[in-house]
Amino acid sequence: MIRVNGEPLSWHPGKTVEDVIREKNYRFPLLIVRINGRLVPREDYGKTEIPDGAEVDVIHLMSGG
Amino acid sequence: MMNREVNDITIEIDGKRVTVPEDTAILDAARRAGVYVPSLCSSDLVEPYGACRLCLVEVDDGSRTRLVTSCNFPVRKPLKVSTSSDRVKRNRKTVLEMMLARWPEVPLVKDLAGAEGLTGARYVHPNVDLNPNACVLCGLCVRICEQGIWEKIVNFSGRGVDRSIRMPYDSLQPHCVGCGACAEICPTGAIEMVDDPNRPYDAEMIRKAGMRITREMIKYDEQQCDMRGVGTAHLVEVMDAYDLLPVENYRFGRHEDTLKIESRVFREKYFSPGKPDGCWLGCTMSCAKAIEGYELKTGPYKGRKVLVDGPEYETVAGASNMGIFDPDFVVEYNFYCDTYGLDTISFSTLTAFVMECYKAGILDEEKTEGLKIPFGASDAAMELLHLIAQGRGFGRVAGKGIRYMKKYFVEHFGADPDFLQDIGMEAKGMEYSEYVTKESLAQQGGYGIALKGAQHDEAWLIFMDMVNKQIPTFEDKAEALHYFPMWRTWFGLCGLCKLPWNDIEPPDNAETDEPAKVPEHVKGYCEFFEGMTGEPQTMDSLVRMSEKVYNFQRVFNLRMGFGTRKHDVIPYRSMGPVTVEEYESRKERYDSQLEEQVGLDPRNMSTGEKLAALRKFREGQYEKLLDAVYKRRGWTDNGVPTVEKLSDLGVDFPEVMELVRKHGG
Ligand code: FES
Repeated sequence: MIRVNGEPLSWHPGKTVEDVIREKNYRFPLLIVRINGRLVPREDYGKTEIPDGAEVDVIHLMSGG
Repeated sequence: MMNREVNDITIEIDGKRVTVPEDTAILDAARRAGVYVPSLCSSDLVEPYGACRLCLVEVDDGSRTRLVTSCNFPVRKPLKVSTSSDRVKRNRKTVLEMMLARWPEVPLVKDLAGAEGLTGARYVHPNVDLNPNACVLCGLCVRICEQGIWEKIVNFSGRGVDRSIRMPYDSLQPHCVGCGACAEICPTGAIEMVDDPNRPYDAEMIRKAGMRITREMIKYDEQQCDMRGVGTAHLVEVMDAYDLLPVENYRFGRHEDTLKIESRVFREKYFSPGKPDGCWLGCTMSCAKAIEGYELKTGPYKGRKVLVDGPEYETVAGASNMGIFDPDFVVEYNFYCDTYGLDTISFSTLTAFVMECYKAGILDEEKTEGLKIPFGASDAAMELLHLIAQGRGFGRVAGKGIRYMKKYFVEHFGADPDFLQDIGMEAKGMEYSEYVTKESLAQQGGYGIALKGAQHDEAWLIFMDMVNKQIPTFEDKAEALHYFPMWRTWFGLCGLCKLPWNDIEPPDNAETDEPAKVPEHVKGYCEFFEGMTGEPQTMDSLVRMSEKVYNFQRVFNLRMGFGTRKHDVIPYRSMGPVTVEEYESRKERYDSQLEEQVGLDPRNMSTGEKLAALRKFREGQYEKLLDAVYKRRGWTDNGVPTVEKLSDLGVDFPEVMELVRKHGG
């Protein structure tokens, strides 16, 4: 189990950032992803595996107006 | 945004192996491999052009070996590349010698030639130019003007040795806003900016700040919001994905037919391709879009082919809000709203209200004077639009807006005023714009407290609040509802558009302390202001400017009979589900909220009981939010700016003070 923006999400070995974005249907293009506070570059979403128990932040940058 | 699948190809450059996506230019691959190749006419901001021939390399594809310009030679199969074979060196030297003969004093040319061991040319060029800032005809200025700025201010003229860069008819072009992109990209300093019509304090500072945005627009927009491609319409599919796209008078947040009106449809079938449509000359975002040759199906111009400006997100989402998923309808109502001088947001939101009243039996064909207008009735919606413009029939009533209709339906048709208050999406008399706010308390406040009425443009906080969970406490939400409205007000004070602030972002924005504020761009605005006026600024000083005006505007509202807590009330539809059908459609979500946030066991409750309990909770939350925001802004519990706050801001004019004192401020 991992947490994405504070909410639990199921985990399996090899689950990548891209998998999470697809599963959560995060279609907005301006995202910032952090795994346990560490920034993941956009180019690496497909190959970055998330460890079990991780806190994942997927920050959507449409804000303020 | 998901990327197209591209193959990776491995090539060898001077014996170094490097893997790049298909179609990468050899020059870029070489840079990635850390191999230096001299170049002059290429830039990451424009398409390659192959003008200078300095970037020559030798390519062996297994069957033959040849010389190519590396800046515009795409990698499509494994290659062996040599950047310094004898053949390459010989040809590169010849190219440089010709340049040196013609422009012997240009430092860049001298440096490039020097690197190849050349100190002078062996012959004299007939058109030798001894200017150290001479134009070397690389064409970068021509390309950035056309591809980056979408203008054609500068271009090549003449042929052979007479070839030069000019403006048409050698005169200043009215289209040129002096953005300075050509001067910025020029490698020799041949273009000098001389015309500063507004006589700003420091034009260079402004141009530099502007150029940073232009650079980002050219390089990153396509992968980010694609504002240049489809404008704000890209938000249609995004909002649908997050259950935020208003459907049937904000009852729901998504619909299976959204794909019929998503941005892809407008891009592929409607928008005039490749034609920029900015609000003013020189805007590199150019997010306004145009549709040419659309044949109207209704109204006074029926059968005519017209140019339609749009549609933007709000206009498309206005259609889904009426339950209509027909792109032709979107274009048609967009055109007629523009032509009649009506706003697509007010029209669509009030029509969605009429449709729900029709569905609920408050209206019928008799009461609408013959209009059969359930959700999805596109013909009836168009008919209503024409009637509003003509001031005829039911259009006379509907055209006065939701606030008027609520009163009218109660007085004339005996409708239930509470139900109408719940579903009539207006605040301070203005119709809601097109976002579902039920799951974002901060956004409910963003609409309710906004000075002009129910608009999101003071503060769009749904992602921060509902998706990112960045502002969980009342204090966090109040801080956001202080900062963002003040920040947004500043654009209004300066007559600037907000979109280049955060609909494009610097690539390293994620690494900043407060990415939501886009600090790099805020810095650019500080420079813009300083460049204009000569007064250095900070984020805080800009916000302080707005705070003065914003508080003064609130007092103005007060004087006009608004501006207190009771005017910041919003319809319950924007806070939560009004009807059983709405509740049931997202039952799992609401049930779990009742359990986790309210502490009730939904299993033993009827939907009616659950609706009531959720409502009580959410209305309470909204009141607490108002308390927190008023406190943060230095207002009384009744939402009135205090005497101390206004004195501190220097807005303590006698009439202002007298008015706020009367209201307990
Ligand atoms: S850089 Fe390739 S031809 Fe000029």
